[in-house]
Amino acid sequence: MNPLRRMMALVRESLATAWAQPVASVVTIVIVAGMCATVLLTTGRTVGAEQSVLGSIDSAGTRSIVIRAEADAGLDASVLDRLANLDGIEWAGAFGPATDATNAAVPDGTKVPIRLAWGTDLQQLGIPAVQPVVNRTAWASTVSLEQLGMPDSIGGVITGPGDDYAVAGSLTTPDYLRFLEPLIVVPQNVVPQDAVPQDAVPHDAAAPAPVSVLVVVASRPDLVAPVSQAVQSVLAVDDPTKVKLSTSEQLAALRALIEGQLGSFGRNLVIIVFAITALLVAAILYGLVMLRRKDFGRRRALGASQGLIIGLLLVQVAALASVGTLLGSIGATIGLTASGDPLPGIDFIVSVCILATAVSVIAAIIPALAAARRDPLTELRVP
Amino acid sequence: MLRARGLSFGYDSASPILDEWSASFDAGEVVAITGPSGRGKSTLLYLLGLMLKPQSGDVLLDGTDAAHLSDARRAHLRAARFGFVFQDAALDATRTVLDNVTETALYRGEPLRATQARARELMSQFGVELRASAKPGQVSGGQAQRIALCRALVNDPRILLADEPTGNLDPASADIVVDAFHAQAHSGAAVIIVTHDPALVARCDRRIEL
Repeated sequence: MNPLRRMMALVRESLATAWAQPVASVVTIVIVAGMCATVLLTTGRTVGAEQSVLGSIDSAGTRSIVIRAEADAGLDASVLDRLANLDGIEWAGAFGPATDATNAAVPDGTKVPIRLAWGTDLQQLGIPAVQPVVNRTAWASTVSLEQLGMPDSIGGVITGPGDDYAVAGSLTTPDYLRFLEPLIVVPQNVVPQDAVPQDAVPHDAAAPAPVSVLVVVASRPDLVAPVSQAVQSVLAVDDPTKVKLSTSEQLAALRALIEGQLGSFGRNLVIIVFAITALLVAAILYGLVMLRRKDFGRRRALGASQGLIIGLLLVQVAALASVGTLLGSIGATIGLTASGDPLPGIDFIVSVCILATAVSVIAAIIPALAAARRDPLTELRVP
Repeated sequence: MLRARGLSFGYDSASPILDEWSASFDAGEVVAITGPSGRGKSTLLYLLGLMLKPQSGDVLLDGTDAAHLSDARRAHLRAARFGFVFQDAALDATRTVLDNVTETALYRGEPLRATQARARELMSQFGVELRASAKPGQVSGGQAQRIALCRALVNDPRILLADEPTGNLDPASADIVVDAFHAQAHSGAAVIIVTHDPALVARCDRRIEL
């Protein structure tokens, strides 16, 4: 018999043994399910709350770095090319100076600021990569569309100097650009210039366009400080005094503090719950081994090696623990959902299930060793 | 086939149960080991069955020392080449009769289906085929011992060891068991029986008194 078939035979025998001992199997499943549910209902709730709090902090722009440049500072869109060479940046976008614009159909309507925009990933804002009319198509946020009076998200705007743009749709304003609201942007050069007929480009695309706001989003909160320094080094402005950089380092520090404290609390709780469960599983299994010591003596006499008996018990516990973790996690998820509490992520739930199964199997090692060491002569001899 | 050479064993080193004990067991013979209680008959059987390691001496199986092999090797030999019959059948009460008879398939690493086919033949031969799906608690003592006999014979063992196999049986059931021992011996196995039963001793080919 090849190793795979032998392993399948071992699993089949383990499952058959578990099925033949319903009381012990159900008790093991209930204990592991209880452990899993307890962890998810306590630590999981904490993790859910933590993720919610951190999400709120992140929505405040924990990872964003904003550079504001005066018009004569000399900051232009070429900075994005230099930023592309830096690590630790999730997103970067540059915005030109704001110009008042109104709905072309309502010349006396509300004035809304419009900006030219550059970025390699403006799709994050919901702007398509290919523009209907290159450099002349505007995309407006919901707030802007309301102020412009464009409920269908389509129309035209005209600026004070007389430039007109077609509004092709709405964009999504991410948290880190919320400070620019109401926001209308005109994406620039989002497709290669040589792919566009030159007569469709009304402005001189080769001329460096000034940038008044540069927004950089770091990959992680702890990278805000080093990325800020790196960004400053590649700004290449004529007058650094006319550039102002603002970050959310304090928010990032607060985020790290919350993450650390709640994480530590959760870890300690998980360790305690798992330790108690490991003791219970070990005690139950040890009791079961003692109750059935004659069976293990018989197995040894008939040719089961010590390794095989250990394998049988560990596979049996792993199977029961898997069922227990599945039931416990489903129950806890239903409970958290019903109570309206925040749910921990699927990664956390899966991790708890795997850890709970592993803890149960580890707890079963000593009872399994005890079973494997049963002496056939002692166990099978009739007084 | 099986030879004990200078076997010594004791739970208390000051007073060994077996001291430099030697004997040979050949294929085709049924040997009874007898003697007063406490003289080490069962211990000897478990030593010959490679369940215990002797403190000194060897157990030679086809000329090769098997007593001092690793646990896994000795376990595999027990599963593949030995058959065991215990005094009280020693069946797993939580599993079916068929599961009990085929239990050693896993230990030998044999496919379960092949063992099940052989198990059904034996169960039919010993008149317990209708109890295949019953639990051991649902069969009589005589049937239980016949089931244990099926389990011992399912691997067609070359060495069959029995510890008081007829101790709890009525004469008719005992005869079935002893007939099976002789049949296995005639097929080329060595059968070693520890017993106090004079009737059983009388039907053995040889007797060793401890």
